Parts: sequence; C-alpha cells; structure tokens
Amino acid sequence: MAASQVRRRRIRRRRTGRILVHAMAYGAALIGAGPFAWSLLTAVKLNRDLYNPTHNPLWFHDPPTLDHVRYLLRHTAFPTFAWNTTWTGALVVAATLLFAVPTGYALARLNRPWTASLGTAIFLVYLIPPSVLFLPLSEVVSRLGLQDSAWSLVLLYPAVTIPVSVWLLMGYFKAVPGQLEEQALVDGCSRLGAFRRVMLPMAIPGMVAVVVLAFILSASEYLYALAFVSPTAQKVVSTGVPTELIRGDLFYWQSLQAAVVLVALPIAVVFNHLLARFVVGFTAGTMGIGK
Amino acid sequence: MLLTAVRPARRQLLRGGALLTAALATGCAHEDEGAFATGSLSGGPAEAFAPPDHRLSGSLRILMWSHFVPTHDSWFDAFARRWGSRVGVDVTVDHIDLGQIPTRVAAELHAGQGHDLIQHVAPLPQFEPAVLDLADLVAEANRRWGPQLELCRRSSFNPRTNRWYAYAPGWVPDPGNYRRSLWAAVGLPEGPSTWDELLQGGTRIRRTTGIRLGLGMSQELDSNMLGRALLWSYGASVQDAQGRVALNSPETVAAVEFMARLFRSAMSDEVFAWTAASNNHGLVAGQLSYITNSISAWRTAQRSNPDVAADTYFRPALRGPAAALASYHLLYNWIIPKYASGAAAAQEFLLHYTANYAAATYASKLYDLCAWPALTPDLPTWLGRDPFRAQPPDKLALLADAARWSADLGHPGPTSAAVGEVMSTFVIPNMFARAARGEVSAAVAVADADAQLRPIFRRWRDLDA
Amino acid sequence: MVTRAPYRRRTAEQDTFLARLFVLPTAGYVIVLVAVPVALAVAYALSDVTVAAPRYDWVGIANFAAVLKDQVFWRALTNTLVFTTLTTLVAVVGGSVVARLLFAKVFGRRVVRVCVLLPWTTPVTLSSVSWLWLLDPVYSPLDWVGRQTGLLGTGASVNWLGRPTLAAACIVAVQAWRLTPLTAVIIMTGLAAIPASVREAARMDGAGPLRRTLSITVPLTLPVTAVAALFCAVFSATDMAVVRILTNGGPTHATEVVASWAFAKGIDGGNLSEGTAAALFLTPVLLAAALAILRAARRVELR
Repeated sequence: MAASQVRRRRIRRRRTGRILVHAMAYGAALIGAGPFAWSLLTAVKLNRDLYNPTHNPLWFHDPPTLDHVRYLLRHTAFPTFAWNTTWTGALVVAATLLFAVPTGYALARLNRPWTASLGTAIFLVYLIPPSVLFLPLSEVVSRLGLQDSAWSLVLLYPAVTIPVSVWLLMGYFKAVPGQLEEQALVDGCSRLGAFRRVMLPMAIPGMVAVVVLAFILSASEYLYALAFVSPTAQKVVSTGVPTELIRGDLFYWQSLQAAVVLVALPIAVVFNHLLARFVVGFTAGTMGIGK
Repeated sequence: MLLTAVRPARRQLLRGGALLTAALATGCAHEDEGAFATGSLSGGPAEAFAPPDHRLSGSLRILMWSHFVPTHDSWFDAFARRWGSRVGVDVTVDHIDLGQIPTRVAAELHAGQGHDLIQHVAPLPQFEPAVLDLADLVAEANRRWGPQLELCRRSSFNPRTNRWYAYAPGWVPDPGNYRRSLWAAVGLPEGPSTWDELLQGGTRIRRTTGIRLGLGMSQELDSNMLGRALLWSYGASVQDAQGRVALNSPETVAAVEFMARLFRSAMSDEVFAWTAASNNHGLVAGQLSYITNSISAWRTAQRSNPDVAADTYFRPALRGPAAALASYHLLYNWIIPKYASGAAAAQEFLLHYTANYAAATYASKLYDLCAWPALTPDLPTWLGRDPFRAQPPDKLALLADAARWSADLGHPGPTSAAVGEVMSTFVIPNMFARAARGEVSAAVAVADADAQLRPIFRRWRDLDA
Repeated sequence: MVTRAPYRRRTAEQDTFLARLFVLPTAGYVIVLVAVPVALAVAYALSDVTVAAPRYDWVGIANFAAVLKDQVFWRALTNTLVFTTLTTLVAVVGGSVVARLLFAKVFGRRVVRVCVLLPWTTPVTLSSVSWLWLLDPVYSPLDWVGRQTGLLGTGASVNWLGRPTLAAACIVAVQAWRLTPLTAVIIMTGLAAIPASVREAARMDGAGPLRRTLSITVPLTLPVTAVAALFCAVFSATDMAVVRILTNGGPTHATEVVASWAFAKGIDGGNLSEGTAAALFLTPVLLAAALAILRAARRVELR
C-alpha cells in the first residue's frame, strides 16, 4: 500500500516536473525568438500597414509584400555583405582554433612556471575596449597595406577571439581527468601524441563553443570593420547594412528586419546542429532532465 | 554529412517554408511605385562641363554619406564617374552612414592613407591640422559665382588661424513642420510664427485632441539644432562673437524656463530619448502637431502616409524676444586630407560639382540647397511648383529665402572645434532636458552647462596657441 | 620506480619545448596586435593629441585629472558597473537554466534550441536596431499589446527609452537578452563534460533533480560558469553598440556608459586624449572584477 502510494507520488512529481520543464523551455524560446518572429512579420509588411500605429504590429492588416525583401537583395549589396561575413568568419574561426587550442592546452596542462601569468596576461589584454584600440590599429593596418580590404579583418579579429577562446579551452582541458593523459603517456605516447589522441577528442565540446563564439564575435564586430573597410564590395553585414538601409533619419525598417532574419536564422540553425551533434550527444547518457 | 543528418521532420519544415515563400511571392501586394526611390529622376537640369585648368590624372577616391534620398546617390555616383572619364581620372565613390563618418575620418587620418575627398553633413573644424587649407578653392569659387552664403562660409573657415578647413557648397534648412488642420482649429492656419504662439497653440491642441508637439531634448542631432534656435531667439548663445563662453546669462535662463513650460504643457517624455528618426515617426503617424526637421519627414510621409503629408506645411524660424533664427539641419563640409594624392583632382571635381549644384538639388528632391544661390536659378520655380508631387505644389516656397532665418552653429562666433565637441557631448539638449524634467531649476541647469563648456573651450584654445 | 624516473625527465624536456611551441605564436600575435596598440593608447591618454593627430605633446596625467572632474564620466562609470553587474547576474542565472533546458527532451526541442540561440547569433548592430522599433514611443508592439489589454490608456505609450530608470532597465534587458545564449552555450558545454559516471552515481543515490543540480552539477560546472560570467561581464562592459543605437547615452546621460562616453568625447568630439583616458579607466575596474570572480570560483573549486 505504502509502496504504491510512494510510486504514485513519484509519478505525479515527475509529471509536474515535465510540465515545468516544457513551460520553461517554451518560455525561453518565446523570449529569445519573439523579436525575430516580429522581424519576420515586419519584413513583409507594406509601408501603409507598418507606419500606422493603430494597426496590429503582430499580424497583417494589409496583405504582405516581398518588395522590401526584394529591395534588400537586389538594390543593396546585402548578398556581398553576407558573403564577406561568411568567409571572413570562417577564416577567423580557423585561425582561432589553430592558435587557441594548443595554447589553451599548454596553459592548462603543461605546468611551466610562466604559464599562469601568461594566461592572465592574455586575458588582461582583452579588457581594453576596442573603441580605444581602433585608431592605433589603423596605422598598423595601413602599414601592412590592408587598408580597405576585408583581409584586414581576417588579420585582426583573431586578436579579439583568441584570448577568450584560450580561456574557454583552458577550462575544458583542465576538466579532463589527469589519469587519461597519464595512461596514454605510460602507454608510450609522447606528450604531443597524448595531446592529439586523448585531449583533443575530449575537448570537442569546448572547441564547438569556440567555433560558435569566434564566428559570432567576428560577424558581430563593427568598429574595426567600419574603420578599415569602406568599399562596398569589401564590407561586411554589420557595417554594410546600416550604411545602405539607414539613410540620415530614414530607416528602411522592413528591409532591415529582413536582413536581421536572413543573417541570424542560418547561423542559429547551423550552430544548433553543431551543438546537437557534438555537445548534446557527446556524453553517453542524457542529463536525466525531463525523463 | 549535413544532408544525411536532416531528418524527415526537418525536410517537411523546409518544404513548408518553401511553399509559404512561393505563396507570398505570387499572391501578394506591392508597394506604390516610387516607394523605394531607386533609379534616377527624370527632368533634371542639363549638365554643364568646363575643362579643368590643368591636366589631371591618377585616381580620386570620394567618401560621402548615404543620402536620405537614394536617387541622389545614384545620380552622384554616375555624375562623378562621367566627370572622371572626361578628364582622365579614375573616380570611385564610397558611401557610409552619416553617424560613422567622423569615426572613419579619424581612422584614415591616423593611418595616413585613405580617401582623397571626404564629405560630412556637419562642420569638421577638429580635423583642421590634418587637412588642406582650401583658400584657393574658395577664392576661385567666389570669383566664378559671387560671394558664398554667409552661414556656409562661417561653417568652413577658422578666423583664428585664417584657414579654410573645408569647402561648404551646400546646406539643408531646418524649418518648422506643422499640421495645418490641427493649427487651423486653434486659429493659426498658417502655423505658429512665434515661440509664444507655439506654446499657446500647442497647449490648446493637446488639450482638445491629445496630440502633442515634439521638440527633442535628446542626445541626437535635431535636439542640438533646435536648442540653439531657441537660445538665439531669446538673444542667448553658447559663445560670443569672439568665441568665448557666454552661456550663463539671464536670456539663457529665460529660454530654458520657456522650454520647461512648453514641455509641461504640450509634450511627453518621449522627447528625452529620441533618435534622429523619432520626430519623423511621430509626424508620419499623425501624433505630433509641430516638429522642426528638414523636408525629409514630409517626403517620407508622401510615401507612407499621404494624408498626413498633404496636411503638413512648413514655417520659417519661430520668433522670440530677440530674433527669429533657426539653425541649419545639415551643412555639407568637404575636406581634403593632407595625405591625399588626388588633391588636385578633388578640387577640380568640387568646382565641377558646385557648377552643377542645380542637378544635385533636383536629384535630392530639393533637400540640398546651394551656397551660391546664383547657381540654382530654377530653385524658386521648383519650390513654387514642386516637381515631386507636393500638395499644394507651392508648399516649399518659403524655403526660397531660408538663409535669411538660418544661422551657423557657432553663431555669433566662429564654428570651431570647441563648438563641435559641445555638439558631440550634447551639453545643450541635456541642459534643456534637466530643467524640463524638473531635476534642477533652470538657473542651475544653465550654470552646470556653462561649467561643462569652459574646460572644453579652454582646452581647444590652449591647443591652438 | 627506477623505470619511472627517466620517463618523467623525457616528458619534462618535451613539455618545455611543446609549451613554447604552443604558446609563443599566440602570445606573439596577441602582443603585436593588442599590446602595441594598448601602449599607443596609453601614450595618447598622456598627451594632448586630437583626432587630427599630427602633433604629440606630453601632458602627464592632466587628462586623467580632467576625466575625474567630469560629472558625466562618473555617471557613465556608475552606470557601467551597475549595468554590467545586473546583466551578468541575469545572463548567468538565465544561462544556467537555459543550458539545462538545451539538454532537455521536450517536444520540438530542435526548434526550441534554435529560438534560444537567436539573440546571440545576430550582429549586435542589427539586433539593436530591431529593439529600437520594439521600444519606439509611437510604434512599439509592446505598447500596442498594453493598449489592447487595457493596461495602457488609448493613445498612451510607456516611453520605454524616454524615462531615465526605465531606459536603463531596457539597456540591461537587451544586453542580458543578447548575452544569455552565450552563457548558456558555455555552461552547456561544461555540463556535457561532466563524466557520465558522476551523474549516474548521483542518480543511484536517489537524489532528486534539484538536489542533483545544486550539490553535484553546480560545483562541477563552477569554473565554466565563472568563465561564462567573466565573458558576459567583459562583453557587456566594453559594448557601446546597444547604448549608442538605442539611446545614445540619453536621457541626460542616464544610460551613458564609459565605452559610449569615451567614444562621444574622443572620436565624435575630437578630444581624443581625454576620450582615451576615460576608456582606460575601465581596464583596472574590469580587471578587479575578473580577479574577484576567478578567486571566488577557485575557492569553491578547491573545496
């Protein structure tokens, strides 16, 4: 009797737990994506629908139109901007991984006397706001002949993404149990071999986080992009879109929202896929949440 | 790998999305023609060309703002390239958002390399040490076309160093925009002509219809301009004619008190965090009875809310106890950095551009006005009969003598770098805002603002010395 | 025991070489591209240089003194500290919750995950422009909903950005909204690194999900959570886009932060040396905060 009562209570608790988790998940999704849903709707609204404050902003009063999306794609250089953001972002991610992964490992596991202070120093350097750095950097960029080329961004952005990535990876490498590495060393691997065979695979969630972080930092950055790149053909999304769609005191709101959706959604979908494949499925079991 | 990972459920979602897009594409509505203002305008004046005095070569890189009227940019880019091909210069034009121009200029000057010719929509006195003195260019322009408009001259010349830090061929006036139907209902069908009429009429409109008026006290461009307009109307000013700080005066306190009263009677606290586009929005939505703005708000309304556009009319500067003066809305400054290799070509281009300013005025839908009025003989005709569907066609006629009631930023003193820094740190709008919100009394707000100005002026003066 | 000693010696030499190989390129790259400009920036702050740049005259700490006398700077510094602290708190707590939700088996979890990631994946300039309309005094959809549900009178609007305290709350909300997915992803990857054996053991003990979270996963993920908090603090403290686009520091500097003020004064206003001096004030403050967070995390970790 008592046992079945306990079981029934546990089932009830589990059910409320499930409801609670579902509610929180959907609530979080609403908060995160609510503005984008609005962006999606607004991107296809007519002017006379959008600029009337009595109309419902969350649905259509007049039929939707693709004119503003067409304007974005045909009469602005948005496709060029999107392409520039993509390839510079990819290269920045590659450079970040190339530099940050070994450094994170070295600072976390190879206990040299200078590793601790260097780790702090690398992070310190990140505490200077870019609003201060961009002017001295213009001199560096122009001396390298990279003024007005998107390649200047490929050169500079890793300096922004590497320090935070090093710190992130240090955390993951530290979390790998020491015995795994010791075992590999005892088995006859060199340190480099142990690094490659044991540590790298264990740090894949961390590397995925670095990919996500570095790409988005690169795509989001605007101050250096503004200072160093002015030809339209070389601009990226974060500077190009405001230039073409914010003219003085005139905002092309619908086209702006179309740009927001077209940039954010693919990135979110790709990163969700990365997270699902490499992180959520990383461990043997689930967290036991919602079960 | 990605494709195989796409589960059937996701494929269904993609298919649904594709169908939705197709549906949107086929059976949906369209904006009116002219909603996007792409392409070029027809009916503009003919282009004049005078060969340059010296042979030109090399390249000319121009940087300028994204004009609020896109047809102007299409016209300008083609115009510049046409000139380039005729004189043998390779011309490229880059556009950026106006808020980003000072940043970009600073970066190029520090790099020692970049564009040869840069345009901004406000004076650039702070860059004087790093740009060419354009005295010869201005002298040549005056020789060809007569004296330059005083407010443009004062916004490009530094009397202390006797250098021309910029070339100012054009400007944009800042009239009052009012809703005729609302003001006619309170007995002022021609709109307010004094600040007191604004206060009384605006209050009555608010009481009867709930519609407010909108004078910004925010950290943005429009607020800076109209704040100074109010100060000048009361006989107050930021500096005196010699460029010394002169803000703390009974006139200034009177102006600030007036603004506080105006706020309490006829405005809402939205005006404290406006962007440059906010008063446009308020007007287009029919929620503001009076704003000060260039014709951009009304041109926007022509496209998105034609009823409001037809009901919107313009007024010159409001009269106060001392004067009727408004600031300009924009003032074009073209600078040539010292590092520019295309400096000669740049100056010849500027002369060509100025000679054809009528085309620029037309392409900007009468937004840009020329500093040499003789170059736009058709302007009064256009203003009297708007080629771009104003209703009634003579709506813009009052802009023909806009220079009479407009003054430069530093009035009565020079437009110096100190004046520029005061603008960028929004001392004047915040002075009005603090008093309007009742945070401090008008006298204290003025005294605090004056105290903020003095270190700025002192520093730039020490630098000059 | 005898066979062990030579093995350790070998790897010790390898370790040094490897450490240098792994670290020096990064250090060199970062030093050239960041430390050198930082040194230049400090040089600017100690001079009377302007945006026009050609002259350099030493003025010592006069700029720092001028900045300290500036009331607006103190307002900006206070705002920066308050905004950053609140943003970090909200984003870290929210991110911890969201990180666990990202693992949860809910119906439609792929869509949920994409939705939750969206605020972070948009470039900050674009998402801030969206919020500009969402908080517009005339057109805000939030106001419209308020008017429809009767919370607001007809024609009334909240004026989100026109009231000092409310505008500050909006800035914090937008920053937290933007940064929560970042902290969530960082914490999420930390959660994934918890060995399955540890979690299984906890479940066998019969501990409920909440107890498991509080006594097992929170301490284990504390280093990662600290890193997430650190990044959140750094990104919100040095960001000026949200403030510049939404309020430009207004109303009357109520939302001014050091990053936006330094820019307005130094670049827009032309007073480069004073603007740089103001921006450099952030560094020791952020450093102190970073060290505090890290020390607290290490103390818990060691326990």
